[in-house]
Amino acid sequence: MENCELEYGAAARLKEGVLDPDLCSGCGACVGFCPYIKSYNERVAIIHNCQICDGVCYRICPRGFTQYTSLRREVFGAVDFDPVLGVNKEIYFARAGEEEMRSCGQYGGVVTALSAFALKDGFIDSILMTGGNLKGTKPVLVSSTSGVAKCAGSKYTAAPTLSLFQEAIKNGYQKIGVVGRPCQVTASRKMQQAPEINGQRISLVIGLFCMGAFSPELYTLVKEKGLENCDRMDIPKDVLFSSSGEDTIIPYDEMRQFIRNACLSCYDPLSELADVSVGSTEYDPGWNALIIRTTKGAALVEQACANGYIEINPYPSELLPLLKRAVFRKKKRVLGRVDFTYLNLPAPEREYFLSTGDDD
Amino acid sequence: MGWKDAIEGKPGDLVLLNGNEAIARGAYEAGVRYASSYPGSPSSEITETLSRVPASDLYAEWSVNEIVSLEGATAASFAGLRAMCTMKADGLNVAFDFLTSMNLGGCKGGLVLTVADDPQGHSSVKEYDSRYLAKSAMVPVLEPSTVKEAREMAIKAFDISEQIKGPVLLRSVTRVSHSRGLVRLGALAQERKKAEFPVGQRFLTKTLFHMKARDRLIQAAIIFEECKFNYTEGPDRADTVIFCCGTSLLYAREAINILGLQGKIKLVKIGTTFPLPERFILSNLQGVKNVIFAEEIRSFIEEGVMLIYARHNIGNIRFYGKISGDISGVRGPFCGEMNPDIIIKAIARVKRIQYEAPGYSPETIVEFSTMLPPREYAMCPGCPHRASFWAVKTAIAVDSRDCIVAGDIGCYCLGAWDTGYNLFDSLHCMGAGPGIASGLSKLEKFGLKRPTLTIVGDSTFYHAVIPGLINGRYSGSDFLCIVLDNSVTAMTGHQPHPGSGISNHGRSTTAIPIEEIVRGLGIPCAITDPFENDKTAETISSTLREPGVKVLILRRECALVAARKHQHKKQRVYVDQSLCRGESCGCGRFCTSVWGCPGNIWDPVAGKAVIDEAVCAGCGVCATLCPAGAIIAEEVDK
Ligand SMILES: Cc1cc2nc3c(=O)[nH]c(=O)nc-3n(C[C@H](O)[C@H](O)[C@H](O)COP(=O)(O)OP(=O)(O)OC[C@H]3O[C@@H](n4cnc5c(N)ncnc54)[C@H](O)[C@@H]3O)c2cc1C
Ligand code: SF4
Ligand code: SF4
Ligand code: SF4
Ligand code: SF4
Repeated sequence: MENCELEYGAAARLKEGVLDPDLCSGCGACVGFCPYIKSYNERVAIIHNCQICDGVCYRICPRGFTQYTSLRREVFGAVDFDPVLGVNKEIYFARAGEEEMRSCGQYGGVVTALSAFALKDGFIDSILMTGGNLKGTKPVLVSSTSGVAKCAGSKYTAAPTLSLFQEAIKNGYQKIGVVGRPCQVTASRKMQQAPEINGQRISLVIGLFCMGAFSPELYTLVKEKGLENCDRMDIPKDVLFSSSGEDTIIPYDEMRQFIRNACLSCYDPLSELADVSVGSTEYDPGWNALIIRTTKGAALVEQACANGYIEINPYPSELLPLLKRAVFRKKKRVLGRVDFTYLNLPAPEREYFLSTGDDD
Repeated sequence: MGWKDAIEGKPGDLVLLNGNEAIARGAYEAGVRYASSYPGSPSSEITETLSRVPASDLYAEWSVNEIVSLEGATAASFAGLRAMCTMKADGLNVAFDFLTSMNLGGCKGGLVLTVADDPQGHSSVKEYDSRYLAKSAMVPVLEPSTVKEAREMAIKAFDISEQIKGPVLLRSVTRVSHSRGLVRLGALAQERKKAEFPVGQRFLTKTLFHMKARDRLIQAAIIFEECKFNYTEGPDRADTVIFCCGTSLLYAREAINILGLQGKIKLVKIGTTFPLPERFILSNLQGVKNVIFAEEIRSFIEEGVMLIYARHNIGNIRFYGKISGDISGVRGPFCGEMNPDIIIKAIARVKRIQYEAPGYSPETIVEFSTMLPPREYAMCPGCPHRASFWAVKTAIAVDSRDCIVAGDIGCYCLGAWDTGYNLFDSLHCMGAGPGIASGLSKLEKFGLKRPTLTIVGDSTFYHAVIPGLINGRYSGSDFLCIVLDNSVTAMTGHQPHPGSGISNHGRSTTAIPIEEIVRGLGIPCAITDPFENDKTAETISSTLREPGVKVLILRRECALVAARKHQHKKQRVYVDQSLCRGESCGCGRFCTSVWGCPGNIWDPVAGKAVIDEAVCAGCGVCATLCPAGAIIAEEVDK
């Protein structure tokens, strides 16, 4: 492999273009393949500048320069897409079929149910998920349905879930699933284009909705406030910590400072490149919003329904504009940021947001 | 075996010893009963050798530091026994407070303080001339030139100490301590003194006793006038003389021979460098035109002789030394080690002769050496410190707040250079690290935002780190102290220390584990194995964010000790080149160009890594770090 001047190597570009300006989303994609990139406590760093030109780390980084149009084409083929919600076939209210999964899930437990079904039914042979609690997160390589349930529940910080991908490769897994935040979904798609890391073995991508993750300083705050033993965290509006029925609420304005800088310039709140995307309904905490995007995603949902793993209802038409407006505003805000340079968007898409007012 | 001859040799035997063994033999013949030391190159073999004397004849101790060591030895002298305390030059600073106190009141049994200087700092961070400290403490100094003389002076030093009732300092240098020479052994002292501390006998320190110390020096000066260690060589009269001491005697002889000036230049050899034998020196200045000084490190006898000259009316003499700049190697005067060339240059100037040194000039050698690929200091194959440093480097990078690293002294001070990934931001003396880290952590309110950690060794921990930790906790400082615990004092030759639970004589004693001390101070303490590198880095990274003073012990036996203990490799380590990623992305020659164990080498033909099995210690840590699983560590039969 060709060696480069210091400032042009992949590691140097990753450091100068992503890590130093605090644009790293903590997805973990670049971690775990080579000896020079490590992550502890949700902080990622380059230990040594390897001077390799076309290194894979920069190429797969969701905050490295990304040809968004061609990446979309790789995932969906040439299809029309909605600039706000992204390519989508259907959108539903959904929840896990079994009460047990619903109760351990963040909302309706759809992610847990779909993951468990995908493993059981052979869609995948393993899946990268995120465990942990309010003391810290822990990426987990899961290959059993019982393992899936252990990872249920949202952790609102940037766990580097994808750092375990090489672990899955070393273990010989061929069809690897990913449950991730939108940045991790983009990274997974970029990884699929990188045969040197066996990225093509990623075979299912379940995306979460995400309006932003907190930086690891959250855990210092949680510890200071004595909340580290709470079993659930949620952000219905303000930030809610629950411990066996007892709730502590911290106003969102107090928590805003902890949002990761990288998340402020994230253009993708709905995991647009996923096979399916799952989020809250902002309406009924017993249910999830579920967007089906790819043919594979459609097949998974269809069979999961047929086998009783999940149940679906139509998305209430009066709620859709609310979701769209929230996403529209976020995208428009991001397009105005000077540090939003990593996505190469088609000009008409850019224009659509910039020329349209909030309430259209 | 040097130590065997030194301890078990019979009177009259002619044996080959190094300077340190000769000093040990001299002390043994003189009837030394108490030998203590804090190990330090180039002095360590003295106490190592004395530790082989049957325990019924001698008490030997690796002390926790130099001042405790000297206090113990002095106690033996108070009880009327002969005692020797040994240290390297830097250690004299540590012992100095006690030395300057006890020398006022004086002592009883012969007390010899052996200090080995290390010109050019072959195994020290500084080159240091202990004679100035001896002068300032008002302690007489003897300085041997050869291995043979080292034994003789050691014996004589005890006698002088008893005559003046105060300590005597025996100054060695690396080239005496570590060179070998033939030594004729003498008989062991027959008299077996009983230790006694009579009621009413007191040893106190008092300003008035300054006079006692002064009078002792006057007495020593008288003894030194008649001392056989001061003599001349060559013609009785010559217009040019060389005043020399220590190893410079040999260099000066060689210089005279090379220039063919035998019979034309007189050598004045001084063995008693403080206080100088004034009459002896004066007699050798009479009628002389040129004086050249040859001595290691600083201009000690040079200043003394010029002072004597200034106080007497002797006529015109020109002095050529370090002060005039005539005695000067490639590093210039005062710095670096002496050698015959330096003296030849000075003589050639005095005698106005053209002399072309054979071979390349020092300047050309320097020029050539800049063209050679740099050869860095390197830690041994399998050294746990390399793994520790990699973990620290990783943790600091991930922490991303540009942590300041305060270093400390030990073989891990290589952490300051390439082999330790240039980690240290400061490096001074034993125990300096925690103090500096503690101080820096107090500057946050004045704008310093970088966190601090300090890296110290296990032996250093006992020697000098504990007060820094107490101070840090007491003052509410924030720093992480990483203790590299390889379970021996490795740098100086693997002496045991209080944590190892083994005495000088190899018997088991009470071990005092570092973690118990730390926890006793109320400081949180964790222990990890640096060979579990990722876990160690993660622990450092997390601990760095905790408030207050924290200690993390990175525990793993020194590779050399491990190899010696097991006497065979535990694992065979090799590269499966079909898996090796070589220069490609995903590795980029990590093992050979970044990790840097001498066992990891590059196979240029295959474009892949290999293990140099002759060098590899079989530790297997690189196998855990190789990203491709290409390095295989296999258990082999014992
Ligand atoms: C940081 C973050 C921000 C979010 N913000 C929003 C939002 O603004 N609006 C919205 O509608 N929904 C948001 N979500 C998604 C939401 O919290 C639920 O995860 C989602 O609705 C799925 O619910 P569920 O009941 O199916 O979850 P479950 O069945 O409990 O499954 C949750 C899954 O999420 C994974 N996971 C948990 N934490 C993380 C993490 N930090 N990173 C990656 N994967 C993780 C686990 O592996 C688990 O499999 C966010 C999620 C995260 C992690
Ligand atoms: S992934 Fe490749 S280019 Fe990036 S740091 Fe590692 S070895 Fe270098
Ligand atoms: S965003 Fe992901 S791939 Fe990019 S630097 Fe951060 S962890 Fe690495
Ligand atoms: S670290 Fe492993 S993959 Fe890299 S060069 Fe060495 S043996 Fe090959
Ligand atoms: S196993 Fe690796 S790190 Fe250990 S001594 Fe051998 S080459 Fe060096």
